[in-house]
Amino acid sequence: MRGFTHYISGLAAATFFPALVADLRMGILIPVIAAAAAYFPDFVDFKFGKFFSRRDYEIDPAPWDDKKHYAPKLVKVAELNEKNRYQFFAVQGKVSEIVERGEDTLVFKMVDENGNVKTVEKPYKSIIFKLTDETGTITVEAFGEDYEFFEEEFGEIAFGKEMLVFGYVDVDDDGIKLVVSDAPHPQGIAETIAKAIEEAYEKGETIVKIHNIRLPGDVYRRFFIHLDPPKREVRVEMGPIVTPGGVAIGGEVPDYRRVGIAKVSVPFIKTYPKPTRVDSFSGPEIAFRKAEFKGKTVVKDRFLPWHHGFSHSLTMGIIIGIVVFAFFKLIGYAHATELALAAMIGQWLHVFEDQLGFMGSNLLPPITKDVIPGFKLGESGSGLTNFSTAWLMIAFMIWNFNRFTDPRPIPIADWKLLLLLAWPSIIGFAIAIVKSFRLRKEISQLMDYYTNLEAFEEMEEVGGI
Amino acid sequence: MLPLSDILIWSLAGVLFGSLISWIPGFHIFNIMALLVAVFGVGELMPVQAFPFFAIGAIVAYAYVSAISSVYFSVADESAVFLLFPTQRYLLLGRGHEAVLLYLIGAVAGTLILVIGALFIFPKVLPPIYQATSPYITYFLTAIVLFMFMSEWPKEGDRGKTPFQRLWMAWRQILGGLLVFLLSGILGFIVMNTNLLPTTSAYTRLTPMFIGFFGMSWVLLNILSNPPMLEQVPDDRIESSPYNIAKASFGGALGGTIAAVYPIITGGMGALIAGHMTSQRGDDAFIISQGVNRVIYYVGAFTLLFLPNLRLTRGAAAWLVSSIYTPKSYSEYLAAVGVILLSAGISFVFTYYISKFLARGFNIVHIRKLSYFVAITLVIISYVLTGPMGIVVLLVSTAIGMMAAAFNTRRSYCLGGLILPVLISMTGHTGEVMHLLGLG
Repeated sequence: MRGFTHYISGLAAATFFPALVADLRMGILIPVIAAAAAYFPDFVDFKFGKFFSRRDYEIDPAPWDDKKHYAPKLVKVAELNEKNRYQFFAVQGKVSEIVERGEDTLVFKMVDENGNVKTVEKPYKSIIFKLTDETGTITVEAFGEDYEFFEEEFGEIAFGKEMLVFGYVDVDDDGIKLVVSDAPHPQGIAETIAKAIEEAYEKGETIVKIHNIRLPGDVYRRFFIHLDPPKREVRVEMGPIVTPGGVAIGGEVPDYRRVGIAKVSVPFIKTYPKPTRVDSFSGPEIAFRKAEFKGKTVVKDRFLPWHHGFSHSLTMGIIIGIVVFAFFKLIGYAHATELALAAMIGQWLHVFEDQLGFMGSNLLPPITKDVIPGFKLGESGSGLTNFSTAWLMIAFMIWNFNRFTDPRPIPIADWKLLLLLAWPSIIGFAIAIVKSFRLRKEISQLMDYYTNLEAFEEMEEVGGI
Repeated sequence: MLPLSDILIWSLAGVLFGSLISWIPGFHIFNIMALLVAVFGVGELMPVQAFPFFAIGAIVAYAYVSAISSVYFSVADESAVFLLFPTQRYLLLGRGHEAVLLYLIGAVAGTLILVIGALFIFPKVLPPIYQATSPYITYFLTAIVLFMFMSEWPKEGDRGKTPFQRLWMAWRQILGGLLVFLLSGILGFIVMNTNLLPTTSAYTRLTPMFIGFFGMSWVLLNILSNPPMLEQVPDDRIESSPYNIAKASFGGALGGTIAAVYPIITGGMGALIAGHMTSQRGDDAFIISQGVNRVIYYVGAFTLLFLPNLRLTRGAAAWLVSSIYTPKSYSEYLAAVGVILLSAGISFVFTYYISKFLARGFNIVHIRKLSYFVAITLVIISYVLTGPMGIVVLLVSTAIGMMAAAFNTRRSYCLGGLILPVLISMTGHTGEVMHLLGLG
């Protein structure tokens, strides 16, 4: 659920205690603590936990320019090395030699609408030249649609021409080169994730941080990470340029550098049946953990490993209740017990509301050790479940304010008022429950596909399980 | 009540007045109305009973036509040092007219929702709900402020080398927001509780502060960033879906209603709440919901002044008008609803054609020149309304508004200028804070 839904649940929790409502009426605002407690799990995770989370692999496809805070980073030739392979950079320099002009046949893999990978061959024009700045010389290659764009932008590339070239770094027998492009190559992301999965199979766990790609104008290059267990591959697909609001504004990359595929030599499963989409705000962290699945040892993914841990447990609710009680008792607040209970219930409501989604939480540590899967009523961003929950909480607040005021401002029976106030939520939840049955069926089918044991067996022959 | 023909004439005058000034960046209809009253007075050229209808025409026009300034005259430079609003991104892509069209869809939806609500829902539902919840307004207000801080999304911090570096990068933005809120609050407290501004400016004492926070700082950013004047596509084409329009209209209406009914909660704060409640995403949805939200917030709030069994005074315009004449009968309420529909139709046409005209000739007059003109005008307005000390308040509030942009935090933190002093007053701590600040 979204932050405000949790927060308003805490606000509502406080209104169930007549003593706290009376305080609010007198202008004592301390009960707002219950709302803060209800939001606390996300606050801790996103404002602290996220930054202290371990990172075994850090994938930054397009490092930011230090001054402008967007990609591509303007670098000197000498700053680039083999470790930067597939990353997106810009280099300012002078053309010192034209090595080759000509036509090539490109061979590349692309994914069709059904997700099948096919090999494509296309004839393309190309140019190879040397670009020199005060720190060194680098080979620059432009081909295909990128060459056409490059020539359109700079005119004919000739000796002595001063230019700013942006593209991704690649490596061949002659060393590193810069390939003209408007995005990093997805292969680097795919290879690192594949490596992390393999290492997790050996060591038990690896955590990968994937940065997003921010471009000038506060827009982002979207990319998708597909984990395909039956094919045992990681597929990364570069998408269009999008605004922070998620609207695609063009900038599709050519087919020949749209997809990066890396094979994984160990079995893995994907717990969430959709590809990971990376665009605005920040990139995700994914933990890969060794686990048992249907009698086999596999690697399992866990999205945002620092999220929905101890902070999202019922145990944490009890701790919050104790701390709130101790503090407010100490400062002499007359209703510290009620406030502590409201704060604890607020935090518990947060845990329960999140449990309605996919991720689930580690509910009672240290008794429970791992995340208990969610009820899959809807995704955390679902407008329907968020609105239904938030509206129900508003209804509870109005209802409580009314029944704890004498004389009642709305003089009708309690049950009748609650029903009158809460009907939009009742309808919303009913729709969400009906939709969730469909969603569960879909997930079950997709999980069957992802955990196709037949595919695992076949791989045994080549040293898999 | 005035004869219907007079109501029509005065409301049309209001629409015309509002349309003429609302497209200019940094101008707010409330300031201009205050200026009108301060300079010309009401009662001589305009009958006092006509003022509410003139005001409603002007406010409807503002709710529509101000889309022009927020789309075309709030452009950002290509370096994107600061985060951009969705409308700014549309403009940078040459799709400014599309942004206006999306806004207009929202504004029309907002008008229809408002009119239906005003006719069939508000008179029955609002009074009991308001009566049950009004003693707890301070609770809601405090809760919203706290949520604003707790939910600030760190825009940087991912790329720090060490955990502490990452934490600091994220928290400097959050702390920056807190600082902006506190500074705004202190300024607002001083303006509201001292004789810094002349007592003759009773109704306009907050005007220079708000001009600085939201108008002048915006205009100065235009001057400093020297944005490119890009070619715009004047085609009548939008990219959205009926689902997005419906969802955005619902969210916008929810946020606008919260802001219209409850004091101090502004349209932006209402939008924040409603956006979270309905889980909105997408630039098109955002712009549409802004259209709905602004119409319901500005016009809806003012309409509550006409509702005989509630008669709430919400917003600066309502306070200004109610000090001169408060409508009393249901027939005036119904006339106001009719005026909203009529004014909305005319304002729609104005906005559409101004946008079309601007999209065609967007790069003729550079926004930088226009911004110099507006900056001077804003200084003059502040001086006329509040004297030389008003200029001092304007300078300080402009600096605070610029700080919000520099810290990359929400501009709405500047609302601390209103929220903090009101909260202090509602909780009965004005004397203590005065003492703390060495003011009394």
